[in-house]
Amino acid sequence: MHELGVLNSMVHTIERIVKEQNVTEVSKLVIEVGELSGIVPRYLEQSWPAASYKTFMEKTELELIVIPGIVKCKGCGRVFNAVYSDLSCPDCGSSDMEILEGDDMIIKEILCC
Amino acid sequence: MKDFKVLEIKTSVFADNNLQAGKLREELKEKKVFLLNLMSSPGAGKTTTLVRTINGLKDDLKIGVMEADIDSDVDARTISQTGAKAIQLHTGGMCHLDAQMTRQGLEGLDPDGLDLVILENVGNLVCPAEFDTGAVKNAMILSVPEGDDKPLKYPLMFSICDVVLINKMDVLPYFNFDLEKCKENIRLRNPNAIIIPISALKKEGIKEWTDWLHNAVKSWCE
Repeated sequence: MHELGVLNSMVHTIERIVKEQNVTEVSKLVIEVGELSGIVPRYLEQSWPAASYKTFMEKTELELIVIPGIVKCKGCGRVFNAVYSDLSCPDCGSSDMEILEGDDMIIKEILCC
Repeated sequence: MKDFKVLEIKTSVFADNNLQAGKLREELKEKKVFLLNLMSSPGAGKTTTLVRTINGLKDDLKIGVMEADIDSDVDARTISQTGAKAIQLHTGGMCHLDAQMTRQGLEGLDPDGLDLVILENVGNLVCPAEFDTGAVKNAMILSVPEGDDKPLKYPLMFSICDVVLINKMDVLPYFNFDLEKCKENIRLRNPNAIIIPISALKKEGIKEWTDWLHNAVKSWCE
């Protein structure tokens, strides 16, 4: 259950961004969560009220977009979703792979005024 | 009607922490203090390994230790018996340390005059891997009873570590743990990781580890 710590870190990052942009109110955050990030969207949603409590984002809505965990097999070159293939290549069985997408959590958009 | 606008950001949620960590590393470079972030799951033998590490290096380096735990001060008391300067950090329920908490810990320890500060992170293979603490190098301990498949289950932790110590080698005959398979699994996640099998209890393999650490400290402080 590290989602609360992740959200606290995100609040600090957004605090810095909105200060630079001269923004006073944030109505909505659009966040991309990768399937290979180790971060669980459901726990992010549950932790958000606690992470935003008594901050400038207490009333801010959190929208999460899940990004598929796409990898490329270093053995045969097949590109596939690692989560649905149990972290091994469906063609050659290798678990040596390069992550192409879905290993991060990104602040995509900040809706503000 | 308020005038709303959309800021297209596309930045990592960890951006601010990464910035703070970078700043901390620059300051440590100026002060010639080497910060090591030591991680493992609970019970892998961090504190015993730390005691052996301090005993192996204390004649050559001035060492400080920050013990991070959710609660209690048993680890800091054990470490202070080695003669190293030790403080206990309580994370207040958090399962990791970030750069800001590490900075606060360093201020409490007062690292001026120290060559090496070791941060014993909270016992956990998930969260500490996500937060850059500002350390110069990351090391982790994997112990034999945990199993040789851990690098596959916790890929991020193994991918960010410069050194992996495989501890409790003395109990290898009693566990279904394949050392070569484990090394292979680590290299899948991190081809550059230095892997050192040790037994902190039997004091085996410690010299190779302390030699590596000593050299890393020397090249940082030059």
